[in-house]
Amino acid sequence: MKKNGKYIIWCGIIAMWALGCKKPYTPNVISSNNNYLVVEGVINTGGDSTVIRLSRTVNLSSGVTINPELNATVIIQSDQNQTYSLHSIGNGQYASTPLTLDNTRKYRLSIGTSDGKAFLSDYVPAIATPPIDSVGFTILNNGVQIYVNTHDPNNNTHYYRWDYNETWIFHAKYDSEYISNDSTDVVPRSPDKQIYQCWGSGISTVITLGSSAKLSQDVIYQSPIIFIPSTSEKIESRYSILLKQYAMTSDGYNYYTILKKNTEQLGSIFDAQPSQLTGNIHCTTDATLPVIGYISAGTVQQKRVYINNSQLPTWQPTYPYTCGLDTAFYASKGPNPVNQVLQNLVPQPNSNITIYAVFGNGPNPIGYTYSDPDCADCSIRGSLTKPSFWQ
Amino acid sequence: MKRAYLFIIFLFIVKLVSAQNTPEKNISVNFQQTKIEAFVDELEAKSGYHFYVDTAQFDSLKITLQVNDKPLAAILGMAFNNTIYHYTIIPEAAQVFLTKGKQIKTGLASGYFNNTRPGHNNQVLPGVAAATAVTATEFSGDKEAPATEATIENKTYEIGLKTNNIQPGNSILSGYVKDIKSGESVVGASIVVADTKTGVVTDQFGYYTITLPRGRQTLIIHGIGMRDTKRQIILYSEGRLNIEMQEQVFALKEVKISADKVANVRSTEMGTNKLDIKSIKQVPAVFGEADILRVVLTLPGVQSVGEATTGFNVRGGSADQNLILLNDATIYNPSHFFGFFSAFDPDIVKDVELYKSSIPEKYGGRLASVLDVTDREGNKKLFTGTAGIGLLTSRINIEGPIIKDKTSFILGARTSYSDWLLSMLPEEYKHSEASFYDVNLGISHQINDKNNIYVNGYLSHDQFKLNSDTAYSYGNKNANIKWKHNFNDKLFSVFLVGYDRYQYSVSSDANPVNGYNLNYNINQSNLKADFTYYVTRKNTIDFGLSSIYYKLHSGDEEPYNNKSLVVPDVVPAEQALESALYFGDKYDITPNFTVDLGVRYSIYNYLGAQTVDYYAPNLPKQSSNVLDSVTYGKNKVIKTYSRPEIRASARYNLNDNTSLKASYNTLTQYIHLLSNTTAISPTDVYKLSDPNIKPQTGDQVSLGIYKNLQSNTIETSVEVYYKRIRNYLDYKSGATLLLNDHIEQDVINTQGKAYGVEFLVKKTEGKLNGWVSYTYSRTFLRQDDPYAGELINNGNYYPANYDKPNDFNFTGNYRFTHRYSVSLNVVYSTGRPITLPVAKYYYDNAERVYYSDRNAYRIPDYFRSDFSVNIEGNHKVHQRFHNSWTFGVYNLTGRANAYSTYFTEQGGSINGYQLSIFAKPIPFINYNIRF
Repeated sequence: MKKNGKYIIWCGIIAMWALGCKKPYTPNVISSNNNYLVVEGVINTGGDSTVIRLSRTVNLSSGVTINPELNATVIIQSDQNQTYSLHSIGNGQYASTPLTLDNTRKYRLSIGTSDGKAFLSDYVPAIATPPIDSVGFTILNNGVQIYVNTHDPNNNTHYYRWDYNETWIFHAKYDSEYISNDSTDVVPRSPDKQIYQCWGSGISTVITLGSSAKLSQDVIYQSPIIFIPSTSEKIESRYSILLKQYAMTSDGYNYYTILKKNTEQLGSIFDAQPSQLTGNIHCTTDATLPVIGYISAGTVQQKRVYINNSQLPTWQPTYPYTCGLDTAFYASKGPNPVNQVLQNLVPQPNSNITIYAVFGNGPNPIGYTYSDPDCADCSIRGSLTKPSFWQ
Repeated sequence: MKRAYLFIIFLFIVKLVSAQNTPEKNISVNFQQTKIEAFVDELEAKSGYHFYVDTAQFDSLKITLQVNDKPLAAILGMAFNNTIYHYTIIPEAAQVFLTKGKQIKTGLASGYFNNTRPGHNNQVLPGVAAATAVTATEFSGDKEAPATEATIENKTYEIGLKTNNIQPGNSILSGYVKDIKSGESVVGASIVVADTKTGVVTDQFGYYTITLPRGRQTLIIHGIGMRDTKRQIILYSEGRLNIEMQEQVFALKEVKISADKVANVRSTEMGTNKLDIKSIKQVPAVFGEADILRVVLTLPGVQSVGEATTGFNVRGGSADQNLILLNDATIYNPSHFFGFFSAFDPDIVKDVELYKSSIPEKYGGRLASVLDVTDREGNKKLFTGTAGIGLLTSRINIEGPIIKDKTSFILGARTSYSDWLLSMLPEEYKHSEASFYDVNLGISHQINDKNNIYVNGYLSHDQFKLNSDTAYSYGNKNANIKWKHNFNDKLFSVFLVGYDRYQYSVSSDANPVNGYNLNYNINQSNLKADFTYYVTRKNTIDFGLSSIYYKLHSGDEEPYNNKSLVVPDVVPAEQALESALYFGDKYDITPNFTVDLGVRYSIYNYLGAQTVDYYAPNLPKQSSNVLDSVTYGKNKVIKTYSRPEIRASARYNLNDNTSLKASYNTLTQYIHLLSNTTAISPTDVYKLSDPNIKPQTGDQVSLGIYKNLQSNTIETSVEVYYKRIRNYLDYKSGATLLLNDHIEQDVINTQGKAYGVEFLVKKTEGKLNGWVSYTYSRTFLRQDDPYAGELINNGNYYPANYDKPNDFNFTGNYRFTHRYSVSLNVVYSTGRPITLPVAKYYYDNAERVYYSDRNAYRIPDYFRSDFSVNIEGNHKVHQRFHNSWTFGVYNLTGRANAYSTYFTEQGGSINGYQLSIFAKPIPFINYNIRF
């Protein structure tokens, strides 16, 4: 016993030392009203349309992050003086028709904002992105790591960036078998109204980069894309990822590397200090005005793969909410019985979802279990409709 | 009795007169468990001396001794060493007296002749040196008069060639101050002539030289951790006096921060702090192990970037602008274990000296400071050792004589055993590894009175792996040999040959295709000769030369194994030679006004083999602006920089306890550290100045007022300084530092300015002792290279990373009894500057931040207090082991000081965090044993 106590103290000391302490930090000095233009996008020289997103920075304390820049004019210019206009598709996004441009030329972006300022990016070379060889995964003891393999047989690309869309099937905690008939009682739920199985989806929120610049061949081997913990419901049934690959120039790669360092990698003892970030877009009417963003040009390659739960070890997903079941009876127990089913489950809209019937001695249910939508309705977190691409 | 004394004295005087004409006969003996009778018989037969001995008193003695060709005195010395038996040789009568317990003194007790009046020195019958002095004569093959060994206070020692009339004027007295128990030299002991202002301090070898008026003098000697003592002398002419001092028996009794109470006010040096290991050990340290650098951080003008770093910043200098010397070897990385421990083994360090404003002309090559760490010499008399057990480390040291009184060694070693503790952490941290060890070895050998040899070696190794598959390791390797030679009593010298190396490596094997091994190392070979010439009592000259040959292997990346596709990438080695010639003169214009003027001329040659790119003038250094690329052959001088450096200081005594000091320094640094982290880490890159990267230069002016109160037990000082730095290298945003063949394309020149005022109050004696310091200082950098491309903060001044305007330290120790004491340490400083995010935006599907101007904001202020209790074991002198305990709490108030703050994106939203390293009170315990 004594030994045990000692053990705990030692652990405490060491844990405090080794883990240090991480506390939220919200200095109130951050209230200056900066309002810089943010430009995001890739000039797609392939067969897809180019989408450029324009927005403004907001204060850190601001509740919203997306502050779209509307009513701007956006034009792609080539070094041969060809121009291609983009049109607003709302929400600060500007799109072109599919352009299929010459990959041996250089391109730049010209922006005019509604406040009368003009912006111009540097000319960037168009790069043909080599195809993705494969997207695979390795099973680790606490989850699954998805990776990408690619190569450029011409030894010419070296710098890569990826983003992705993920989609997965997931289930609510409880399978609701009954539904209110909106007037008197609950009735069995028809298959077209099921709310047990849904498709969830997500997009990449971290910058994923890879480089083969140091290797003798332009080979990217098992470059990590995303790690899914073993307890994630993303892999409880069937999971799919659509990976997009962008070839980069070394300048563009550096920009994203610093952006990633500044916003994703700070805090440990040996990490670099944040540094200023200069993209390749400049304000031509006010040279001191910072502009955020880096424009690159080239084709995009993509690949979709699926992972079934059966390909993975038996892992137990952790449901994101704490769930429990209550029971509503037609005649509640006690001196003054009430119809709890009528009271709690029939009225619509209702935050109680009927799960399954409870039987007494007779053939008919004497009541129903129920739970809340977090636990019984998957559609609050996903889509009931199968995506068109889903196989 | 009186008669016997007089008789012996008479005989001795006869000896003095005739000794030079009777060469000693050397004899060889071999005794095995020999009784006294046989021992005496054989020696009588071989030496021709007659022995007087009461054999009954010696009946328990058995002698085992084998000696070849040694004088009689040496044989007797060896036979009776460490026994209660004594011998006295009367060479003139060819007689030897052997006694038990008491020694027959051939000298007189002082004051024996009560009628002697000062001023009539010719009438004084000399008190003659004791038997030990006689044996010293026999040992020394030196033609000159041997040093007098003065061990007794109430005895008058005669120095020099005795004359009937003492000539008026001055003579030089020199010698060593040593610990009587261990024979170690006492460094920084002050020798002051009573009733005058004349005083000197012993040098790093315990050697002193003082010019005195001839005649009768009393010398007062103070030493750190030593009992104050005095010696009475009659100085006839130049001579030598070795002084043996007794250690304070109670280790905690006395704490001195300064080498010498009076030296604080009287020396011309300013901005110099000396700490001895005893005061260092009293300061509470995290994990309970005394940490030298952490104590240095409590001194005014010294700051650190953060808690887990042992890199330090002195008066606005960056961490690499400190020259860190361990026994004259350059230590490039002074930290272990992410900076939680410093590289110096507290058990064998003797003292630490930090020069921050008047840097002596013999040091150079760095802009901000010199930290001079000196290890002890081994015990020359007997084998001793210490061992300590802490939470994460254990250490041991052993020392002792190789040849008694001549050669000794000291060996210290430390190792950590933290891996088993790390394995107890939660899963995500479990696979971290961290460990270190270091080994120190020192050998000192006294060839004769004029020649000493010192050999020092240091080896350290660190390795760690933080929850990742990347393994880091680094280490220092240092070795040097010092030869101290005294030409005569006016000119002495130290010659040094040494080799220093710092290396690190990073490796990863998690991905077979990308697995790599990266190695980096700096090597320097040093050659140094320092001379001190003692011209007159008022004038001392220092001069010398030094040369350092650098060889940097600035990165070598190799595939981890044959599955790896990593292309070997070797940054070509860099070579340079940094040489310097210096001359300094310390002159007392009046007893109250002293100036110390020095000049150091440094010459730097950047050497081939190397390929150097030359850029178009007035254009950013970019690959597109390369005009020419020239390849130079081996040892070809590619570029030479040279610069005279001024080291000047002056002191004026307002009165006995108050002085004003001023100093001006210029410094040059030819080696640059490039780091994009805030601490020194094993991924930093050193770069030698080359045609594209100019040496850093700096100058500093400082003024100070020093006042001692309460009979020198309280020392106070105020210093102000202003400093300029040029060509300090900062890096461009997103610079690649490692494995960069063209690093000049990624760095920018900055200039800096720093100013501040430092207050210090020290109490050196009494039950309560310690120091309080307060510093107000500012440090700014500005990018002044118009061709750098991008301008940080549009070319305006911005605060340096280590700019912390207010800095307060209290370090105190209160002693209840000689066995129990408590220590308290309180630190407050302004938070360091950081670059904060000022806006957020959405990019690549996540919220991201836009940062402010560089270092425009500050992290919260820093406050910490530490407390410890020190318990000494009992103080019986004659016991096998002495032990002591230290326990305490680091960060008593548990304040979560921010080490850094950062903003990070999680699940699409941005959160700010502050990271604290020691966020809770951390108890510690340490057990030490001395044997």
